[in-house]
Amino acid sequence: MLSFLTARQTGVDDPVRLRRAESTRRVLSLELNHDRDVERIHGNGVNCIDIEVIEGRYMLSGGSDGVIVIYDLENSTKKSHYTCKAVCTVGRSNRHVHKFSVETVQWYPYDTGMFVSSSFDKSMKVWDTETLKPADVFQFDGNVYCHHMSTIARKHSLIAVGTKDPKVQLCDLKSGSRIHVLQGHRGEILSVQWSPRYEHILATASTDGRVRMWDVRRAAGSLFTLDQFNGDKSKASSEAVNTAHNGRVNGLHFTDDGLYLLTTGTDDRMRLWNSATGHNTLVNYGKVVNESRKGVKFTVSRGCSPEFVFVPCGTSVAVYGLYTGELVTTLRGHYNNVDCCKFHPDYQVLYSGGKDCNILAWVPVLRQPDVEDEAKTGGAQAAVNPAFEDAWSSEED
Amino acid sequence: MDQETRDKLSELVEELTTSGEPQLNQAKMKEVKKICKISNDYIDHFYHLIMTQLNQDHAEVRFSAFQMATELFSRSHHFRVVLVANLQEFLELTVETDAEQPLPPPKEVARKLKTQAIQTVQAWHTTYGEAYKKLALGYHFLKQVKKVDFQDVEARTLSERRRHEEKQQRLERIYKEKLEKAKQEMEEMASEIEESLTEMNNCMTLIMPDTFNFFSTSLNEKTSEGSSDRQKGTDVWDEKPCCSKDLNKEDGKMAETSQREEEKEDNNGDSDTEEGVDEDVFIRSSGLMSHTYRLNLSVSSDLNVKENDENEALVNTMRDQHRLITTRYLPVIQSWIQVFTKVGVEEQLMRQATDLKKSLEKVLRKHDELHIDYKTRQRRVLKAEDDEDDDDFEEVPEKEGYEPHIPEHLRAEYGLDSISSPSTSVSELKPSKPAEQPAAPPMPSTFSRIKNRLNEEEQDPTCAAATLRVLKEKVATSASIFGGSVKPTTSCTEQGGGEEKAPVVPFGMDLYYWGEEQPTAGKIIKNTSQHQFWVPHEVEEEFENKELSAQMKSRCINFAGCFQPVEHKCKAPNPNGSLCERQDRVKCPFHGLIIPRDEIGRPINPEDAARLEREEYKRREEQPDWRDPELMREIEAATGEDLGSSKTYGKGKKGGKGKGKKRKYPNLTDLKQTANTSRSRLEKKVFNKSSMRRVAEVMNKMDTRKHEKFANQFNYALK
Repeated sequence: MLSFLTARQTGVDDPVRLRRAESTRRVLSLELNHDRDVERIHGNGVNCIDIEVIEGRYMLSGGSDGVIVIYDLENSTKKSHYTCKAVCTVGRSNRHVHKFSVETVQWYPYDTGMFVSSSFDKSMKVWDTETLKPADVFQFDGNVYCHHMSTIARKHSLIAVGTKDPKVQLCDLKSGSRIHVLQGHRGEILSVQWSPRYEHILATASTDGRVRMWDVRRAAGSLFTLDQFNGDKSKASSEAVNTAHNGRVNGLHFTDDGLYLLTTGTDDRMRLWNSATGHNTLVNYGKVVNESRKGVKFTVSRGCSPEFVFVPCGTSVAVYGLYTGELVTTLRGHYNNVDCCKFHPDYQVLYSGGKDCNILAWVPVLRQPDVEDEAKTGGAQAAVNPAFEDAWSSEED
Repeated sequence: MDQETRDKLSELVEELTTSGEPQLNQAKMKEVKKICKISNDYIDHFYHLIMTQLNQDHAEVRFSAFQMATELFSRSHHFRVVLVANLQEFLELTVETDAEQPLPPPKEVARKLKTQAIQTVQAWHTTYGEAYKKLALGYHFLKQVKKVDFQDVEARTLSERRRHEEKQQRLERIYKEKLEKAKQEMEEMASEIEESLTEMNNCMTLIMPDTFNFFSTSLNEKTSEGSSDRQKGTDVWDEKPCCSKDLNKEDGKMAETSQREEEKEDNNGDSDTEEGVDEDVFIRSSGLMSHTYRLNLSVSSDLNVKENDENEALVNTMRDQHRLITTRYLPVIQSWIQVFTKVGVEEQLMRQATDLKKSLEKVLRKHDELHIDYKTRQRRVLKAEDDEDDDDFEEVPEKEGYEPHIPEHLRAEYGLDSISSPSTSVSELKPSKPAEQPAAPPMPSTFSRIKNRLNEEEQDPTCAAATLRVLKEKVATSASIFGGSVKPTTSCTEQGGGEEKAPVVPFGMDLYYWGEEQPTAGKIIKNTSQHQFWVPHEVEEEFENKELSAQMKSRCINFAGCFQPVEHKCKAPNPNGSLCERQDRVKCPFHGLIIPRDEIGRPINPEDAARLEREEYKRREEQPDWRDPELMREIEAATGEDLGSSKTYGKGKKGGKGKGKKRKYPNLTDLKQTANTSRSRLEKKVFNKSSMRRVAEVMNKMDTRKHEKFANQFNYALK
């Protein structure tokens, strides 16, 4: 740490290095922290969460009962213990609330005054954060599994929507209409994601086991399909040609730089692809338990030198090294299946929501005090919290 | 970490968890705690042991493991940390949070485990919830997602509660129906019961006026009044004031009870009519010595009513009513009351029912106190026949030809003297009917005259006397011929002397033809042809069976001899040092032939000893030395392989021990044991292979019969 600091001061190192090293260290020490709570608003499972990128202060969460809550993550009390307060809620009593489970919520990337939510009630709503009223509603023919807005787009304001229909819908916020469909999939679209590097590149994942890359400027068809065998026909059975997974593909995520694409499928695999070529990098993550029939929202760390990926895996969140495929740790804290997780890049805090109605904050554990004053602080800590003391009765001697 | 202590800890945990007891053994638990106190490493080990035991598919094991966990949870911070870190699994295994992983059987223990676990989690939460975040999360999870009501003692989840409610409702409905039914029944039957009650009461008062509260009931008072009047008429003025000698008991009672009234009346009468009359007059008129004369009668409350002709009808009705009440009304009322108490019906109905029951019971008690002496049924029937005097036919005992038993008083009629026949003397020895009155003996003069007349009559073959005489003669001759007197009925009087020596044997064919030539003995007549006149000529119609003829002539008598108790004992030395106590005659089932032995069980005769030695050697041969059971058991324990030590040796010695495979943890409830219900037994019968095959065969046969090949050919022939 000190060497990093001096190197940074003297200008030997790239300024990013210190940051990266420190954030990696913090990510590795993620733990369920006693000091950070998230207010319990949801009465049912939490399906999705999203943290806005402008301030990194507000978090959206959508529940399986249609409720949408906005939390304030900023701790301005200057105390170590902090409960994230709900700023506002689209509750069941709200006139405009989604009738059924909210599947995806996303902040508008440029302004917290707007967010988009899509639900199983076959609609996608564009909300005004101030008034908590939908500014626009898109109706679809089937359940909406997912939607995504490009975080870097400057030339378009398209929302890609995956529904029960095999066609990927593109909705334009400018005109408020569905302007385009992308045809090619044969099953329900479980996940869509815009590339964070090229604003016209879109990846979609479907129940037919295929993942397609699109250039939305080209109407004819997809650019290419990801193939788990990298075109080696001899290994694939006839049905498995050009598939990314052997089961449903229900999770899709670009790395932060957009060079790689991660997919998860119900064959309990996670794969890392080169997003430019569609080449399977063949990183082996081992078995990633995944039985969800809906989309799985996993996340990738940002600003660490070896990046990490956080995947909901049963009742826990598994942390893998992105390029090594090594299981770093398992974060256990939920009492029921975990549905979504989101990484806060500024504070290296991970938020996860699950079917047990909880949103848990996984906060890096602060550095342990140095060796010399351990005894003193240890005693002080015990004095503070008697529950940590041992209570052996004297009779057992 | 010390390996030895570690092993000991594992052993202790296993012992404690497989004990199957609802409570932990405190001493062992203390030891566990002592070990865990040494260092956190042991706690880690203990935690792993506990989790493995919690994963066992046996609720008792889990329950014990859970109890141990709670013990340590309150003690050690480190244990709390490791347990809370994996609280999900812990809850899954104890509180059944995962519906796909239900708690294992046995059910009661599982339920107990769940209840206790929920309560414990709550207790933990209140003490440690602040400090351990996951504990608080788990508590909230149980509370909000699993909807466990922690206030509810039963600690049930929502669905369970709903199911319980439904069950309750169903039961309520059933009870309601029952209640309605009972109400209706009661309405219908109340009047009936009342009727029979009054009937019973009336009968009782008629038979026996209520003696215990004579002055309270108006009805009884009336009767007593009436009876006292009657008494006055009969007793008092006959100057026999209260002599109960020729009154039966009940009358006596009436007399007693009316005594005071009488006295009063007497006094009044005296004072009214003859005022100032001296005592003599009074004595003369009343028979009492003084005015202050008091008579105290002690009346035993023990009643005894005898059924006789007068009260027969009453008693009959009473008996019927009694039966009706005990068999019908009381059970019915009992069931009503049960229903009422279960449902919690309004006061009035309940009271009505209990009142009914009380009054019925009271009546029954009264009835019992009467101690009615019922006549037996047979007598009643006979009596009924007797009563029908106008019946044309009179039932007469069978009498045809020889009559072995002639009543004493009819003897003269038959021309017999009263002691002549031994058969009658026998019959006299055991009188059949005590009620029978002995007839007065006939006068000697008339007797001789009658006898003369009867002698003449004896010549007449149509007369009963003649047959009798013939029979008598026959008996006399046969008795004289037999000599040995095998017929006790005839011989006992004539030959009293030989009686003791002669054996008594059952009657047989040989006795029937005693001393006579039996011409047909052993001859069998074959009637081969039933035809009227056609007969196969070569067939011999008669042939003699030697065996049969021998049987007719001889008798075989089994000589059993007399029982001689066995004096000796086996006395072979037992493995436990004692001597065999068996007293078999020849051979002991355990030690073979019984031979004379000395005090310590050694054979006295040298040849016996040699023989035993040889036998022992032979047995050793069969059971080779290396199969020494102790050795084998040791080897088995060391290697873990079954060498069969349990079955090789010690058939005689072990005896009591079961041969079945020993279970690993005998204290736990055996889960594999199938329930021995009527259903399972039936299943065993019905679904066993052979019976299934049999049924299938029969069904197949029936099927094939349906499609017989040329069954309906005539149909086609007509076309």
